[in-house]
Amino acid sequence: MVVFAGVLLLTSGFSFINFYLVLLGVYCVIGLVVTLPLFALTANLAGIEVDREIDKVKVFSGDFLRVRVTIRNASRRHFDFIEVHDQYPETWILAIGENFIASRIEPGSSITFSYILQARMRGRYYLGPTEVIMRDRLGFHYYKRTLKEQTEVLVYPTWKDVRRLESFAKQRQLGLMFGAHRTKTVGMGTDFAGFREYVPGDEFRLIDWKSSAKRGDMVVKQWEQEKNVQLICMVDTSGSMGNGYPENTKLEYAIRAAVLLTHLGLERKDLVGTCVFSDIVHGYVPPGTRPNHMYDVLEILAMAEPKGWSDYETAIAHVVGQSKKRSLIIWMTDLEESPAPLLNAMKTLVANGHRALVISPFGPWFEAPVGQFGPVEKVLSEAVSEELWERRNKMARALSRFGINVINVGPEDFLPTIIRTYEQAKQRGVAMF
Amino acid sequence: MAFLVYDILDPNDIWHWDAPYTFVVTVFRLLSLIVFFLATTMVSGLASAFTGGALPEDLIVGLYNILVLRTWYMQPYGLTDPLTNIQQVWASFQMNLSNVLLALWDNTFLFLYFLCAGIGIALFLQSLVRMDHKFVGGAFISIQAIIIIAAYRALIVPDLTPFPQDFMDFLISPAQILGLVSFAYLEVSYQMIYSSSVGKPVEDREETLKKQLLALRQATRKQDAIERGEKVSTTGMSRSTGATAFSFLREAMERKVMGSQSALESLDAVSDVRRLQIYVDELLQSDPRARDELTAKAAAPSSAYVIGSTLTGSAIRFLTVVAVSFILMSPYVVDMLLNLPIGIANSVEMIQPEIVVLFLVPVVGLFPFTAAVISWMSKREVVEKEKLTKEEKEAAEKRKKDLATKRKEAEKARKARTKARKKRKGDEAGVDEWDKALEEAFKK
Repeated sequence: MVVFAGVLLLTSGFSFINFYLVLLGVYCVIGLVVTLPLFALTANLAGIEVDREIDKVKVFSGDFLRVRVTIRNASRRHFDFIEVHDQYPETWILAIGENFIASRIEPGSSITFSYILQARMRGRYYLGPTEVIMRDRLGFHYYKRTLKEQTEVLVYPTWKDVRRLESFAKQRQLGLMFGAHRTKTVGMGTDFAGFREYVPGDEFRLIDWKSSAKRGDMVVKQWEQEKNVQLICMVDTSGSMGNGYPENTKLEYAIRAAVLLTHLGLERKDLVGTCVFSDIVHGYVPPGTRPNHMYDVLEILAMAEPKGWSDYETAIAHVVGQSKKRSLIIWMTDLEESPAPLLNAMKTLVANGHRALVISPFGPWFEAPVGQFGPVEKVLSEAVSEELWERRNKMARALSRFGINVINVGPEDFLPTIIRTYEQAKQRGVAMF
Repeated sequence: MAFLVYDILDPNDIWHWDAPYTFVVTVFRLLSLIVFFLATTMVSGLASAFTGGALPEDLIVGLYNILVLRTWYMQPYGLTDPLTNIQQVWASFQMNLSNVLLALWDNTFLFLYFLCAGIGIALFLQSLVRMDHKFVGGAFISIQAIIIIAAYRALIVPDLTPFPQDFMDFLISPAQILGLVSFAYLEVSYQMIYSSSVGKPVEDREETLKKQLLALRQATRKQDAIERGEKVSTTGMSRSTGATAFSFLREAMERKVMGSQSALESLDAVSDVRRLQIYVDELLQSDPRARDELTAKAAAPSSAYVIGSTLTGSAIRFLTVVAVSFILMSPYVVDMLLNLPIGIANSVEMIQPEIVVLFLVPVVGLFPFTAAVISWMSKREVVEKEKLTKEEKEAAEKRKKDLATKRKEAEKARKARTKARKKRKGDEAGVDEWDKALEEAFKK
């Protein structure tokens, strides 16, 4: 505006040979630049230090996080007008406060401001960099410096499914064990299981004489003990698992399912391990009940990224090599790779005495609803869906011959399916230890 | 500034308070003449097309009497009665058109003085409320535009010809006083905007936080009431107050109200708002500094310092600008500095404004150049800190290394498997029931 005024007045002054207009034009132009050297001399942003603090470096997706930013003027200069913008990841939400400040800062002093963010979407994120802009008093000139310091935050997958499960359990007033069937083995143990007829070879001490007298035939008392199961969750993180709406991809559901399964297992003292793989094994947490087990699982799941292809054989070789006990291995994969490696992997796990089950998210159910497509896209997507469906049916048929079920799931039934699968495994006593 | 401009331009007798009215009336008179001409041409065209004859003269005369003479009161231009024949009509039309055009040319300038003054005052008033550079600049340019237009019309305008050689003469000349007042207005306004922009963000921040916390509290109470089965009025959370300023809550509301009707979505939105409320409550209770840090209260500069530094800063800048401008514009100073030959010193060009350009451009260029040199020299002091700390760097490197090792191992295992398979190829025992199952499934 001042530049425009200066040029307008100068040109008008020259055109109409008027010294007043020229003078005012000169005032504007000189006023614009006269303090520039002084500003350059004082505006040395190297004297500004920015320090960022956060409450915790690991949070769950959806949790809140307070960020404190302290700006320190370590120089001996006054900064008349300073703007500080602290950047945060695009997918996060600024819940309370503001992530920037504009003020002046005295030599040796500091200013602190804070804001609250909601962490969204799991993964490794960085807070920062911080942009510091110094302006002159009249807003004519500015210097900018970007402070590269970044604060790493690891965002675990969402905990909302567990919270929801707990809140349902509370509503029913039956606790977390609602609907859960305890896995029992008859034989050893201390819990009374029932009577059966005596067969030669039974120990005499097991004969229940009172009941035998009533029935007129010899019966023995049976005892049972509770057993726990061992499960291993194989989470496929190949590129195709990342298809779908953000936060609603097949991979996100698989991760939520793995978290839920681990939580359920830990609550019931079962052993649940997790393996995250694509063309390599990105992480494997063997089945266990250590206090930090859940966090180990969350950590490897938090860093899962959909890329690469699914190498089932490498994954199973890794798991089988580390897990000697019989386990139920639950694959969460979209079956979009060629079938031979999957069958080879199944062969390996069955040969090692494990059982398997495939929970397979069906791609088209996670992607754009067909209703949103035009006629051509609709026909194409239906053709692709049919082809994919046929392919997975063939794969399911081949696997079913060896007692391996393939359950096709969509976004709505993914989590209920994993809970049901777990309950059934408990009922049937699959892979007990 | 506006008053000085009014006062200085008053001898020109341009401040006719009816100028805007006269301008508008003249414009409409011109329009009525144009409408008359167009109507006559169109009606003539239609008449010749349908009846094959010329338009009756009475109709043209009637049109002129109604459209031009009666509607826009053209009688003062020497007529007392309606016109009766067509020759009179066209002669009157021609004369009126030229008169109206000339009057419009004069009135336009008178109108522009008022328009610029009006815009200038309106922008000045806006700048008092909004504290924005563009309003101050706009007000300054609008008021100065009056003088520019007057200079174009060769009226008596403030001038400094010949440019004073003595600094005191220069300072007390009326044109210089107007220039000083105008520049002072610009300078002081910009300084006031600075003071406001330094202190206001903290105030705004506090206000926003209050609104956000209130909106959050209301939202939580509303949810509680809904859960208890009570009827809740929708005015509980006004969109015009807190909720709109609070993107988080707005988003949560939209997820609940606008988004999918799924019960789980609603549950998420409600739970997010409630958890935020709990988080904020805990934070404010556990950390006494939390509220002040959220509002950044401590960052507010002391008003005494801001006022003091604004006044000193303004005075220094003001005096420097005036002094530098005088040196630049005075031929005497230039002559003295450069010790010019007598021929050039006494030339007409020395007393023309163009001489200013000769010095203005290099002097103006000198300031940014000096600033650039200083910035370049001080740049060496700017040492950007490392992006990551040593531990973070080591961790990143370890991650990279681990990934490479894993890839290598996986590749090795794959090769071994392929090798083993190749070895088995052709061997009947190698084709087991799994392979058969696969073949059968995909054969169909």
